[in-house]
Formats: sequence, C-alpha cells, structure tokens
Amino acid sequence: MSRIALLAALMGVTRNCMSRIALLAALMYLIILAGVGMLNGAMVALALPLVLYLLAGLWRGPEELRLTAERTVSAERIAPGDSVIVELKVTNHGEALEQVLLHDPLPAFLTVVEGSSSRLVSIPANESISWSYTLQGRRGSHYFGEIKATAEDHWGLIIKRAVLPTSGQLLILPPVSRVRHIAIQPRQTRVYSGVIPAHQGGTGIEFFGLREYQMGDSPHHINWRVSARQDGVIYSNEYEQERVADVGIVLDGRRRVNDFSGGRSIFEDSVLAAVAVSSSLLSEGNRVGLFIYGKRNKWTSPGYGKYQRERIMQDLALAETGETQNFKSLIIPRRLFPPNSQIILISPLGGGELNLLSQLRTRGFQLMVISPDPVSFEARVLGDSPSVKLAARIARLQRELLLRELRHAGVQAINWDVALPFEQAVRASLSRPPAFLRAIQRGRGAG
Amino acid sequence: MVEFDATAEVNLTGFALVSSIIISTGSLAWGYASMGLETIPRWMIAFGALWLVSLWQGWKWFSPLGLFLSVLSAILGLWFSFPIGWMFSGAIFALFAWDMAELRQKLHFMTSRDDVKGVARRHIARVSFLTLGGLLFASFLILWWRQWTDEWGMFLLGATFIGSLQIIAWFRR
Repeated sequence: MSRIALLAALMGVTRNCMSRIALLAALMYLIILAGVGMLNGAMVALALPLVLYLLAGLWRGPEELRLTAERTVSAERIAPGDSVIVELKVTNHGEALEQVLLHDPLPAFLTVVEGSSSRLVSIPANESISWSYTLQGRRGSHYFGEIKATAEDHWGLIIKRAVLPTSGQLLILPPVSRVRHIAIQPRQTRVYSGVIPAHQGGTGIEFFGLREYQMGDSPHHINWRVSARQDGVIYSNEYEQERVADVGIVLDGRRRVNDFSGGRSIFEDSVLAAVAVSSSLLSEGNRVGLFIYGKRNKWTSPGYGKYQRERIMQDLALAETGETQNFKSLIIPRRLFPPNSQIILISPLGGGELNLLSQLRTRGFQLMVISPDPVSFEARVLGDSPSVKLAARIARLQRELLLRELRHAGVQAINWDVALPFEQAVRASLSRPPAFLRAIQRGRGAG
Repeated sequence: MVEFDATAEVNLTGFALVSSIIISTGSLAWGYASMGLETIPRWMIAFGALWLVSLWQGWKWFSPLGLFLSVLSAILGLWFSFPIGWMFSGAIFALFAWDMAELRQKLHFMTSRDDVKGVARRHIARVSFLTLGGLLFASFLILWWRQWTDEWGMFLLGATFIGSLQIIAWFRR
C-alpha cells in the first residue's frame, strides 16, 4: 500500500471516532431499554462495561490543542530527482497528549523517499518532538503552510483537531536541456548588438554588400578587387549587423492536445523544450517573454539576462495543463510581443492552430513551431497490433499534412520525436534558418 | 526518540484480538449450548470463524458488526435467563475484540519511528483492566444470583492464564 493510501486510511481511522461513539451509545441504549422493558437487572448491568468504556474516554479526552510547529527545508530550489530534507519540530504548550497524529500534507507531485510526513506520537506537556523526512518530486512548487494535528483520547473516542501554521517553500525547477544556438530571423530587431542578423549593413561578420568608401571606413574593409575595376571610386565591404531580437515563447498547455490515456502527458516535454529554447535565446542576449496557455494563462513579460531566465524557470515550474478557452481566439498583446518579432510556439499541435498561426504571420510575426510528436509518443505505448499501426499511420499522415500546411504558410515547423533528447533532435533544424528563409534573405541581399 | 520494531507489537495485538474473538464467541456458544440448544451455538462458532477470516481479509466493517451481534446475543441470552457469566463474557470480550481491531489497524499505519510500543502497551493495559473489571463484575453477579459453576471458575482461571502469558511475554522482551 502506498504511503498516501496509508495516510488516507489513517485519517479515516480518526474520522471513524464519531461512528464508534455512536455504536457504543446505540448498544448501551439497546441494552438499557431491553433491561428496563423486561425488568431484568442482569441485562441492565450488562451496559456497565460499555458505560465505563465510554466514560473513560470522555473523562480523559484531550484538551484544546496548544501546539506550535517549526519547519526547516534544506533547499528551496531543486532539480527533479534531487532530494530535500524537511525537518519539523512540534512543541506542546498545553497538557500532555498521549496520542497525537501529526500530518504534513503534501501534494501529489512530491514523494517521501525516506522517513514519513506523518507521525503518531505522545508529547508530554511543554515538550517538543522533532522528526525529518526526505522528499523528491517532479516539476512544481509547494508552499508548506500547515501541519495537521489530531489528538485522541485513550480509547480513540474523542478527537481534537488543530492546524499548526508553518512556513517553507519548495520549488522544483524543470530539467534544463542545452541548445547551443537557435537560428531565428525576425523582421525587426532591437538596437543592441547580438547574434540575430538585422538585415542592415554595418559592422558584423557576414558579408552584406558593397558601398562607396566613406570617411572613417576601416582600410581593412576596402574591397580592392571591385575598386580596381572602377575609375576613381573606392568600394568598401559592408557586413550585416547582428542585433538582439524580441522573442515570444508560447507554451501550449491545452489538456486536449497534451494529455493522453493512462495519465500520460507530453506536456513535460513541451516544458523541457521551452526551458531549452528560452535559456539559449537569453544567453545570446535576446529579449524573451513567455506565455503559458494552460490551466492558468500566465504571461511573463519580456526581459533580458539571468533574472529573466529565473522568472521564466519559476513560471515553467508552475505550468500545468488545463481546459482553456479556444486557442483560435488567442490575442497576443503588442506590448509583450511587438509586431515583426519572433514567436516560437511549443505545441503538440492538432487543435486548430493553423488559422491562428496564419493570422499571426499576416500581422508580421516571424513564426517557429516546435512540436513534440504526440503520434510517436502515443504509438509507443499502444503496442504493435495491425490496427494500432494503421491508426498511427493515418495520424502520422494527418500530422505531416498539417506540418506541410504550416510550412506553406511561412511557418518554420520542427517535429520532435520525444524519444530523442531535445538538443539532439532539433540541433540540425534549429542551428540554421530553413531554406525558404535563407532564400528570402538572399533575395533581400540582392535587392 | 527511540525507534521500535512495530511488527512485534502488531503480532501481540493480533494474538490478543484472535484470543478475544475466540473467547467471546466461545463463551456465547457455551452459554447457549449449556441450555440445551444445538443449532444456535454452531452458528455462533461459524460467525466467530467468519470474524477471524475477516481479520485476514482486512474487512474493517466486520468488527463493529461482531460487537453488535455479540451484544445482541448476550441480551437475548439474558432475556432467556441463560448463564449470566457466559453472556457477560461474550459481550465484554466482543468489546475487547472491537477495540483491538481498531488498535491493530492504527498500529499498521504507524511508522517504525513512532512510539508504537508505548501506544500498544498503554492501550492493551487499559482495555485489559477494563475486561478484568468486567469479568469480576460478572463473577459478582454470578455469586449474587448463585449461578457459580465449575466451568465459570475454570474459565476465569484460563482467562487469567492467557492474560498472564501475555504480560510475561511483554516483560521478557
């Protein structure tokens, strides 16, 4: 039996106390009524052991609980799989408590790997009890707000409950997957220098074009070969400026496209992709914002650097799938994601995104879709029967068709089979822009 | 805080629980059989066996039912003027068994670091004293109504012997 089930059962035991009293009272009533009705003294006397049993419980029932609790958590931020030790100290400021159940409620994503989050103990008056347990967990955040105390009398008939306030917080951040470089080419960049080609001549690395020599140009930039063919005109090489860009990451947390039968979800892979992409883009100096479209629609306003990375990580730690409104009606505020900036949608797709993405495209956004493949994800656990193979084939064809339509709409769509590590699976497709964007780039350069 | 091995305490309460069920249903069956009835005592023994099976199967709802039916049988027995001692014994040990079933359930949920030994000892000591008091009270009533028999005397000796065994086993550990 799992620890959670045990705790649930233990709480059930305490809830049974009222029914125990009711049973005893009913039996006493039955015995006395029968004894009096039949004028049978022995029968009335039979109620005495039950009366004594009940009175003993009532006589030494627990007083109002005067307990305080202190908590120490060994770490506030951990990665999935790391352990954290929770130390608890409960002090009894009232009378001695013979049986008190102390239960530290934990959310489902946390697992006790050593010790126990509940104790059934005796606490003498004005004394304390301390214990600790070790936790591990999946991605998420938990505030340790209270400890529940339930005290019983000697017979388990009378119970008193109290909630002991404590403090402490645990944030389990999503796992970090490193992607070296993500090649994006938004139509508009910001003024600060970075690594995104700005489609403007200036200082940079990549050749952009030629222009007439101007005072102040470095002699190293003079294109002597071209200048030699012209009479009296000297030409300088011009390089493409590289700047930072505005990038908006949209994480699709709709339950209908993320969650599958058997409690399995591809959403964790989407979160992992969001972490990798945001970390990579922020490390290159870009201004990155995040929008989580899941249980709660959460905007993380755009920002730069490590502080922004921390904000995004915290928001991703709390991200959950949920039943949200129609994705088609999604409105992206201009102040968060300016027009002509880059938007990266991380979504398994399959929920009518084509219209939305087409609209965003027409509004000038450069779009990239990173799509964890739900067909492979689901097919892997469904077995190899002919019907499953056929269904998977049909679903895969539909998905291919959707991805092709997206590419025709000018969206850079990347399919990710989540069986492969993210960085390995997307390295080739993310490290350089797609062919159609390079063609556009060449066209602009020629123009 | 000292850590204890909860298994021994669970075994101890298990022994007390099984003993009390056997004594309870046995007492009632004996009391009914002593008045010349044959079928009802058999059903009572069958019910006792079922109660024991319920422990093995983990049917938590059975011990309240066992207490209720045992007390009801005792009431009926007293109504038909069956021996007071056996009827009292049946009801008191059913109360003991019901209490032990709850305690055993609670001990199962306690971790090895909890004060399992202390909780079990205090609880069994209290309920044992209550049972002893009940039996003495029953003996007093038997004497009052002049129903003392050798069987009742033997039963008291047997119950005392089992209780003593348990106490000795406790102290030896």
